[in-house]
Amino acid sequence: MAKISLKDINKVYGDKFHAIRDLTFHIEDGEFMVFVGPSGCGKSTALRMIAGLEKITSGELRIGDEIVNDVDPKDRDIAMVFQSYALYPHKTVRENIAFPLQMAGIPRDERARRVTNAARVLELTDHLDRKPGQLSGGQRQRVAMGRAIVRQPKAFLMDEPLSNLDAKLRVQMRAEIASLQRRLGVTTIYVTHDQVEAMTMGDRVAVLKAGVLQQVDTPQILYARPRNIFVAAFIGSPSMNLYEATLDGELLVLGEQTLKVPSSVFAARPAIRESANRPVIVGIRPEDIDDASVTTKPEFEEIDAPVSLVEALGAETMVHLKIDAPWVDAGDPDAVAEIGDEHTAVGRFSPATSVRPGDTARLAISADSLHFFDPETRVSLW
Amino acid sequence: MAERSTFDMGRTIVQALALLLVLSFAVPYVYLVMTSLKPAAHVQQIPPSFLPNRISVENYLTVINTQSMPRAFLSSVAVAVLTTILSLALSVPAAYVAAQYRRPITVFFLLFALITRMVPAVSLGVPLFQLLKSLGLLDTTFGLVLAHTSAAVPLVLLLLAAFFDGLPKEMEEAARMDGCSRFQAFLYIVVPVMKSGIAISALFAFITSWNEFLYALLLTSQNSKTAPIVIAEFNSVYGLSWGPMTAAAVLYSLPVVLVTLVLQKQIIGGLTFGAVKG
Repeated sequence: MAKISLKDINKVYGDKFHAIRDLTFHIEDGEFMVFVGPSGCGKSTALRMIAGLEKITSGELRIGDEIVNDVDPKDRDIAMVFQSYALYPHKTVRENIAFPLQMAGIPRDERARRVTNAARVLELTDHLDRKPGQLSGGQRQRVAMGRAIVRQPKAFLMDEPLSNLDAKLRVQMRAEIASLQRRLGVTTIYVTHDQVEAMTMGDRVAVLKAGVLQQVDTPQILYARPRNIFVAAFIGSPSMNLYEATLDGELLVLGEQTLKVPSSVFAARPAIRESANRPVIVGIRPEDIDDASVTTKPEFEEIDAPVSLVEALGAETMVHLKIDAPWVDAGDPDAVAEIGDEHTAVGRFSPATSVRPGDTARLAISADSLHFFDPETRVSLW
Repeated sequence: MAERSTFDMGRTIVQALALLLVLSFAVPYVYLVMTSLKPAAHVQQIPPSFLPNRISVENYLTVINTQSMPRAFLSSVAVAVLTTILSLALSVPAAYVAAQYRRPITVFFLLFALITRMVPAVSLGVPLFQLLKSLGLLDTTFGLVLAHTSAAVPLVLLLLAAFFDGLPKEMEEAARMDGCSRFQAFLYIVVPVMKSGIAISALFAFITSWNEFLYALLLTSQNSKTAPIVIAEFNSVYGLSWGPMTAAAVLYSLPVVLVTLVLQKQIIGGLTFGAVKG
């Protein structure tokens, strides 16, 4: 186990494409760190640089106390699980798991013991003599995990290891990997584009966009105090609704409608006082919007909005709303394009709601949970 | 209904053309086999008959009892085996690097290999003759192996590059993370994973050498003549001995015919690998 430190790490491909810019942070010993971001944000490149599979253009990478910029992957003592699992198809499960031990020169008896233990932990004991081609996707994923844990390395690197599994298995494996990591206590870096995976698995989550680190924090802080509108929109599902608005004293002017901002918000975010009478970007999470006629929220502000779509999910109802204010693009290239030209806000209504498409809903907005951002820098106002 | 009958007509025409193509290859070989089974007296009868009027193995006995043929057969085996080994030793690492570490230079490298396949073999015969002469390798097994390797490597290289193109790069990367150097990853993981592709390429290298005639004719004279040359030189005091010549040709073709029949699925798979990848 080891601490991993990145200091001013850059990756430039052929003098042109700057894939990673000045990446600096530390991963503590035993910590589960998740790199998350949209496609092309550089998260896999960062992981591969830590693995030694990509050369670092500039900066300093330390594993433990050692600078490893020029150390070969085999000498870094880290294990990696690939998106495609990269199992060796000509070897049995037993041989696949034993291979790193064989390369490390571990004696045969010890190899057998460790493979048996890993197989028991991963429930692969009955499949040890099968070839990867005879296994299901979930079992292959476990073999890839087995190959990583059997070595007891300084760190695990995982590059979207669940993306090839179906949704149900992904949820199951997500919990298993997180629990295994806690049990083994090995420093882990996990790459995903799925923010739910990131939030549920990581001790801390690093959000990247276009090769630049946006924020690295615990899932709770990322959700509650996103540093900028990209993080605000990327973390949370459905995404935070972002609109241009104006602060007029204690009133937030959103299109033709107004909401009273509670004094507790001004107390918590002194910076927004300086934005009084100036444009701001306001962020409202879907869970802070409900149907005013049925809501159980203790305090709320009310505005009206036409309903364009209702998705009843049983425990909750997603309602798409047309809010009369300029919509703000958070800059997520993977964001699903809106149907038609209109951008709609999403509210997470209680299932008791009876709103229908075409209705004008009276919305209950938790004004004390509003987020505010500077429209020029797009940074959160605190 | 009309559309269905048009479709069937098209299919029939394609099948007829395919049959013609197969016959154009098969008839000469069947005629070769038939001739080899004719009694010596009937081989040169006029007009010639397609089927033997009596099955006879005397041509085969003549071939087996000649001194030159078994020796030439062994020489062919030695040259083909060594050519296969040398071609693979050169082509497997080269094709892997060309396919997995694609750069403009590796693309040029593969294109150059393709171009050498386009050049008529006879135009390379004279430079090869001069080269082997200067190296003192004329009429030696090793000299002929070098010549055959120069012919086999471009084919094997292109074939293997197509196979390696389909190998996920993560396979080598996983091995490197598991404690291998690049070369160990290649040796312990890449080569075993690609063994069927390598086996097919080996077969093509072997056949290239086994069937080769022109270089063997130009570069050997006494010591290391291969079977195709000896077969062509089969003669008697009455001129060319067609009977023993055809029997020798049938015997010589048997190993590759049998191997091709056994491995036909893999060979076709190998030939179309690049075309239908994915």
